[in-house]
Amino acid sequence: MLKLSWKGVLAHKGRLALTALAIVLGVAFVSGAYVFTDSLKAAFDTLFRQELEVDLVVRAETEFDFALEVGSIPETLLDDVEGVAGVASAVPFVQGYAQLIGPDGEPIGGNGPPTFGFSWVEGAEEVSPLELRFGRPPSGPGEIVVDAFSAEANGFSVGDRVQVIVVNGTDTFEIVGVVGFGDADNLLGATITAFDLETAQEVLGFPDAVTQISIVVDEEADRDTVAAAIEAILPEGAEVITGETEIAEGQEQVDEGVGFFNNVLLAFALTAVFVGGFIILNTFRIIVGQRTRELAMLRAVGATGGQVTRMVVVESLIVGLAASLLGIATGIGLAVTLEALFGALGFGFPDGPLTVRARTIVVAMLVGVGFTVVFAALPAFKASRVPPVAAMRDVAGSGPKSLRGRIIGGLVVLTVGAVLLLVGLFGGSSNALALTGAGAAITFIGVSIVAPLFARAFTRLVGRDRSWGIMEVSYGLMIPALGAAVVAGVLFWAGPVGPIAAALVFVAGAAFNLREAWRDRATFRAVGRITRENAMRQPRRMASTASALTIGVALVSLIAILAASAKAGITEAIGNEVLADFQVEASGFGDPTQTGTSPDLLADLRELPEVGAASTFRLSLWRDPETLDEDFLIGVDEFLDRMVRLEMQGGSFDALGDRTVLLFSDFAEDRGLSPGDPFRMEFPTGQVEDFEVAGIYGAELFGTDVMISMSTFEEFYTTRLGRMIMIEVAAGLEPVEARPAIEAVVDRYPNVQLNDQEEYVERIGGQVDAILNVITGLLAMAIVIALLGITNTMALSIMERKREIGLLRAVGMTRRQVRRMIRWEALLIAGFGAVIGVVVGIGFGVAVVEAIGSGLVLRIPVTSLVVYVVAAAVGGVVASILPGRRGASMNVLDAIAYE
Amino acid sequence: MTSEVAARVTHATKVYGSGLTEVRALDDVSAGFARGRFTAIMGPSGSGKSTLLHCVAGLDVLTSGEVHIGEVRLSDLDEKALTLLRREKVGFVFQAFNLLPTLTASENITLPIDIAGRSVDDAWFRQVVDVMGLGDRLNHKPSELSGGQQQRVAAARALASRPEIVFADEPTGNLDSTSGAEVLRFMRRAVDDFGQTIVMVTHDPVAAAQADRIVFLADGRRVDEMEGPTVDRILERMKSLGG
Repeated sequence: MLKLSWKGVLAHKGRLALTALAIVLGVAFVSGAYVFTDSLKAAFDTLFRQELEVDLVVRAETEFDFALEVGSIPETLLDDVEGVAGVASAVPFVQGYAQLIGPDGEPIGGNGPPTFGFSWVEGAEEVSPLELRFGRPPSGPGEIVVDAFSAEANGFSVGDRVQVIVVNGTDTFEIVGVVGFGDADNLLGATITAFDLETAQEVLGFPDAVTQISIVVDEEADRDTVAAAIEAILPEGAEVITGETEIAEGQEQVDEGVGFFNNVLLAFALTAVFVGGFIILNTFRIIVGQRTRELAMLRAVGATGGQVTRMVVVESLIVGLAASLLGIATGIGLAVTLEALFGALGFGFPDGPLTVRARTIVVAMLVGVGFTVVFAALPAFKASRVPPVAAMRDVAGSGPKSLRGRIIGGLVVLTVGAVLLLVGLFGGSSNALALTGAGAAITFIGVSIVAPLFARAFTRLVGRDRSWGIMEVSYGLMIPALGAAVVAGVLFWAGPVGPIAAALVFVAGAAFNLREAWRDRATFRAVGRITRENAMRQPRRMASTASALTIGVALVSLIAILAASAKAGITEAIGNEVLADFQVEASGFGDPTQTGTSPDLLADLRELPEVGAASTFRLSLWRDPETLDEDFLIGVDEFLDRMVRLEMQGGSFDALGDRTVLLFSDFAEDRGLSPGDPFRMEFPTGQVEDFEVAGIYGAELFGTDVMISMSTFEEFYTTRLGRMIMIEVAAGLEPVEARPAIEAVVDRYPNVQLNDQEEYVERIGGQVDAILNVITGLLAMAIVIALLGITNTMALSIMERKREIGLLRAVGMTRRQVRRMIRWEALLIAGFGAVIGVVVGIGFGVAVVEAIGSGLVLRIPVTSLVVYVVAAAVGGVVASILPGRRGASMNVLDAIAYE
Repeated sequence: MTSEVAARVTHATKVYGSGLTEVRALDDVSAGFARGRFTAIMGPSGSGKSTLLHCVAGLDVLTSGEVHIGEVRLSDLDEKALTLLRREKVGFVFQAFNLLPTLTASENITLPIDIAGRSVDDAWFRQVVDVMGLGDRLNHKPSELSGGQQQRVAAARALASRPEIVFADEPTGNLDSTSGAEVLRFMRRAVDDFGQTIVMVTHDPVAAAQADRIVFLADGRRVDEMEGPTVDRILERMKSLGG
């Protein structure tokens, strides 16, 4: 039987190739994610190991798993530590925020990766990750070294004078050297500016303090003894740890970050594989159907049903294995490409080996082979049910299946999926994400079971006589438009030639297509009828082909709904709660500790006569000393109540002062707290302090549960940068009148930008859209696989209908008409999948928005959803091109030849 | 009876393969098919009769020689023009798989007219349906029709667009003798009542006996012809051909 399986694969290699391609893509995504992130981790491990020469590290104590800021220790500790017996050398180090300004006047970086300001470690390079590439170390105020990537990307060279944004504003420095971070040009996209120690302390905001002391122990001394001796002299709030611990912590952080990234990639990869599963199911179903006679013959000559099933399963195994191997190879290529791409975009990775771990291979194989076999199992089982007598019959005996069984089965599966989904969303389980994902997957399976019931109705509704003309006109314009886009893309460097050539391509193509369509218009009805009948002939096939697309479109729709709802929520919150006329915020997506508004900017703004009041708030972390849950808090400045409608529900803003907090209403309600109640908080330094609830606020704008006064904030945190400055213009002035003066001040701080309320809403909307685009881009993979599925199904259907097409050609159907017929059918399938996808996506979207609740206002972005359906239909047309050509070029005589 | 020719082949040669594997399916065959007559092409298996039909009908291309349908020389036509010629001037009845399973009998009959975008001549349609005896079967799908009825639908389709010539390739090959005879009787009526030109390939003497004239092929060559054939004469002639 193995031999038969093998022959079966060889006999259908064309049909299986496209199926295999779907698996290859999915597996490539899986293995690519692993290889990429493993390589990243390995590179960092290498990097961290370079630092091993540090024996001990003294630094501010931190209890939190996740720190938003670097604590500092008094500089005087250095002398104390150096005095401890067994310490060979102790090197002070300062790390903070510094952002270079490029030749164009715009700040460099700050869109994600941090912009580090370091102190140059003088004379003890072995304890510093920075390596001087050329030039000399910085010395004295006004000198810096910068990382090699920033230098190269911005054309900086030694001797250039550049501006650098530091905590207290912007200053000009001379570049005296260029450094690398170990072997890498920079640290994962983080920019590095290094000063000498004294300058670093001043500009990074650590007067008379350092963030770390690196210690090398005498060779003959015992490290633990030295550590204990240091520990004994350290004041409260400082700690000593071993170099290994520090490295382990760093690795853990990297692992966590990389792991999260990996999980995100894997989620998308699994979606792609799941979509591929539908294609596998469909292909095997069709192939088994086409081989009914062959299978029946096997049964007739004595093969058992089990043997037939095994034969088909082994076929799927062979396909799965081959595709997975190819997928792994592709994945490795993908990882290499990704690394190169990140490098080109300025996210420098430290050098490291390409890491292909056994786990990667095993998981990728399991996913690839597993999905293939599982999804092929159903058709394989069906194959065993082919009665031997079918060998004698002319047509395969796949009569209409029980509709009731399908409805009941589908509804059961749908219910299970929906329940899991809702429990995941609303149940507050610790496995919420897994439950929701499984629920979504099962829901999709349920949808695919029920979908055939709607396939006919959809075809009848959409496949009307007058639809075809619209389709042909759209097609006639669309394909030349795509062609024009390609031409414009290829010729974009050639000046006006590009657009002109593109326009010509479009006009010529459209004219040709529309003329042909116009000539054939009288035949649309007849061809359309045949198309419609073909589509309705096998609603199951149409539905399962469409289902693959449904998944992609549903997920994309869900994301669009979430984004629209988030934007609406933000707009509403801003509209309802923001009273300020202007906001000043750091541009780009910044790490909250690494970029923000300088206190000097606030002071400058407050001096302006055009400014009535200005207020700021800073962000950091606290934790509940009992549950150890870490969460954000904000430290707020005076006048904040004039900038934001705080919706106080008890107590007052003015009562906020030393050792008091304001709490968010939902949070206070959950904990049963009201004004006057005690509230205990732990700070990153490890201090646990008792506070009193001074008031309850309902404003959703901040998204944090706890507010403390700025003076309290400064007592516990070193962060000097504000998240935002809010401005109220002076009484009697219109915002427009005050703007030029305010703008002049803000312009002196290149890392921030001024927005009025409308611009602010737009800016947040832009950030939401950016995330939306990334996710949609990743989901596009699943959609591409689904479109491959349409190509595959259409190609298989055409082979099945070879004789019909031959007959149509014999009685006078032109090749153009054949292509048109196939195109329309693909359009019907793609449209069906997309419409169901949007419906399911809306369902998911509503559920998720309801589940998240706070901060979101449900919005259905109708335009985007329509665009998705149209795009899917366009994809369907593109997917039909190859099968269409194949069908049209079929030899009439072959097609009508007798057995 | 007119001597006008609806289609003719001159020095038709069709070669498959080359060298040692070369097969001459047709070897210098010339023949004319008179307008308004029922011509049968007979010969043993492998005599090239189907190849001849396919080439005359524009489904296949000769290696050398010429085919004319009316005054049109097929070798002057490109693929698209050939398709249009088939749809305008030629009708087909095949041995099997003659109908689209998704369409009703009536839709199958008007298929060539519909895909040509022309409108159906209702009077003519009714007449054809009448002659083929399909009046009460028009809304049935092929799966609901008997083999003979299906073949009559195919014949009606071939006639519906008023082609210059109808080609039938073993139209009774898949039918029992009663149904086969029925189909032939209807084809005969199309010739007699409408003056339709029909060219039919068959190896069944009973079928061929319905024709006005028989062209005999053997080994790709035209070996004989017979006017006003009867079953007995055909059988006798076939015996000598070794079929």
